Amino acid sequence: MPELRRDPVLGYWTIISTERSRRPMEFKPRRLDTDAPECPFCEGHERQTPGEVYALRPDGSAPDGPGWRTRVFLSKVPILPVGEHVQRYGQGLYDVMEGAGRHEIIVECPDHKSGLDSLETPQIESVIRSWAARINAFEKDPLFTFAFLFANHGLIFGSPSDVVRHSRSQMVAMPITPKRVKEELLAAKIYFERRDRCVFCDIVRQESADKSRMVAENDSFLAFCPFASRSPFEIWVMPRRHSPDFGSIDEKEAPAFAAILKDCLGRLRTLLDDPSYNSILHTAPYRHKKRETHWKTIEEDYHWYFQISPRLTQSAGFEWGTGIHINPTPPEDAALLLREVKRG
Amino acid sequence: MAQLRKDPVTDRWVIVNVDAPRRADTFHHEPHVKSSKTCPFCPGNESMTPPEIAAYGRRAGSKSGSDWQVRVIPNKFPALRIEETTEKQAIGIYDKIHGFGAHEVIIDSPDHDKELADLPAEHVELVLRAYRDRCLDLKKDPRFKYILIFKNYGASAGASLEHPHSQLIGLPVVPSRVAGEVKGALRHYGYSDRCIYCDMLAQEAGERKLTVLDEWGFAAMTPFASRFPFETWILPKNHAASFESMQDDDLRRLAATLKGTLKRLKTALKDPALNFMIHTMPMHGKEEDTYHWHIEIIPQLMQVAGFELGTGFYVNPTPPEIAAETLRGATG
Repeated sequence: MPELRRDPVLGYWTIISTERSRRPMEFKPRRLDTDAPECPFCEGHERQTPGEVYALRPDGSAPDGPGWRTRVFLSKVPILPVGEHVQRYGQGLYDVMEGAGRHEIIVECPDHKSGLDSLETPQIESVIRSWAARINAFEKDPLFTFAFLFANHGLIFGSPSDVVRHSRSQMVAMPITPKRVKEELLAAKIYFERRDRCVFCDIVRQESADKSRMVAENDSFLAFCPFASRSPFEIWVMPRRHSPDFGSIDEKEAPAFAAILKDCLGRLRTLLDDPSYNSILHTAPYRHKKRETHWKTIEEDYHWYFQISPRLTQSAGFEWGTGIHINPTPPEDAALLLREVKRG
Repeated sequence: MAQLRKDPVTDRWVIVNVDAPRRADTFHHEPHVKSSKTCPFCPGNESMTPPEIAAYGRRAGSKSGSDWQVRVIPNKFPALRIEETTEKQAIGIYDKIHGFGAHEVIIDSPDHDKELADLPAEHVELVLRAYRDRCLDLKKDPRFKYILIFKNYGASAGASLEHPHSQLIGLPVVPSRVAGEVKGALRHYGYSDRCIYCDMLAQEAGERKLTVLDEWGFAAMTPFASRFPFETWILPKNHAASFESMQDDDLRRLAATLKGTLKRLKTALKDPALNFMIHTMPMHGKEEDTYHWHIEIIPQLMQVAGFELGTGFYVNPTPPEIAAETLRGATG
């Protein structure tokens, strides 16, 4: 029986389509990336990338040479180019803005590996610390209001250099808070106004009690398939401790986050034969004093989390026209299959 | 410099690469694969589909079931089912509704190999008439809050069958993307007393930078804040809120514009996979003055990746001015 399910935060509807129900083996992985003969992201090839802006070098080795655990540089094909200031103007009915962003590539390991789960847990922890460091680096910069962190695993995007199969993530610091992020912030605020509780804390409580959508959990995090999952096998990893900012991740949480990410991504890889996926960090915008656009309750009403969306179905006209996704795998079934995966 | 452009209706920002625009011939897509399986949509195979809802062009008194021009059938694998109730239920903090809805397939033509771009305008008109008539019929059922008509052409646009077809989904809720658009238009009307889409058309009539085709009372244009390369919209030049209010004469003129636009996209981009969607006022809506129905055509030339998914902020490598110029110059 098909169902329409509503996401409690954003209010989007998803059709859980049992008529079209599909098992993991029915999804054909669409891998588009290849192994390049000469990977610019590998240790020893530092000259092939722009100069590093950050690196974890535990032995204090010199920049732009070997000896790093993670390495960060500006994208050669930035989504938003680096600029000094933002220009805003109107063009008749339309609004235009030019300028300022910062697009960084975070290489997640020195050796040629693909996917966070193929790294050892301490190395994933280094990646997490690098993410936090890069986001926190622009917290005081008046140019930026938001930093978006994401990764595309196994997808073609933009330039040919993007198809190289070497684990990395990307951060884009930007002068505006994007619409989708604003919608989520606003929805969380409205929920808080009504109930004096954080909607994500409520989700954590309900998923912890219900367990039918749970994929994995530890002391600090739970990983579950969200109730209104838009894509089959979508997973949200949510911290139990309420905090709006990923950048506030603490000494206890970082290893726990590394462990649960490795576990979840490993389960996806085994069950779905190394699928393409997008991962997205949901975290609060910067709250410096540039403009008073932030509300007083954001500390209490927003809660960071990490979304993993496998790319198993093709968005089609219906999704584009309505924003409603048709998901052929109920999240309860997806979670059960993911829990049952035998880990090697 | 990358230019950020804001869609005036939805307030969505788009990053447009104005410095190093990608031209039509730089996009590569997977070739359309021909399947050798028996096609359930071809004439003669009517028994392979669920029972017909409507057919157009069948001769009066025809004995054969196969001499139709356009045929409407229920989807064999419906996303939503008309037999369901609209019962609503809460599960803790979550809400759900039983999967009531309609999911129909409009078989565009008996010809397995001809897309709308290749069919005569008179035939496209018949397809549009089927779209409209199905909307009008389903509108009688008050449980439908929104009806979306769309087309997926090509595997990378999500089409699972290659025989030219369109789809209709009737929904018991107004989808959030539609609600956002309706709200954005209402807000503009609130302070200007004008329809924002009419304003866009008026501005374009003066500038002529985004126009692909402007004849027969419909304008095909690449929107200023295009999310995708070669995204093209078709709007009626006279204000109208709902697609199903179009008269036969309107549909005839729309058919010429739609065919001409699809043909240009096909020529310029070497037969790309594409989606189109008809955006119309929600059923029984009250936005007659503020909303303006239109068709959005999106060629599938790039993968949407994590950045777009997370931010709703699209990166478009082809400025719409360049896309429009290319399409104006293409054979229609």
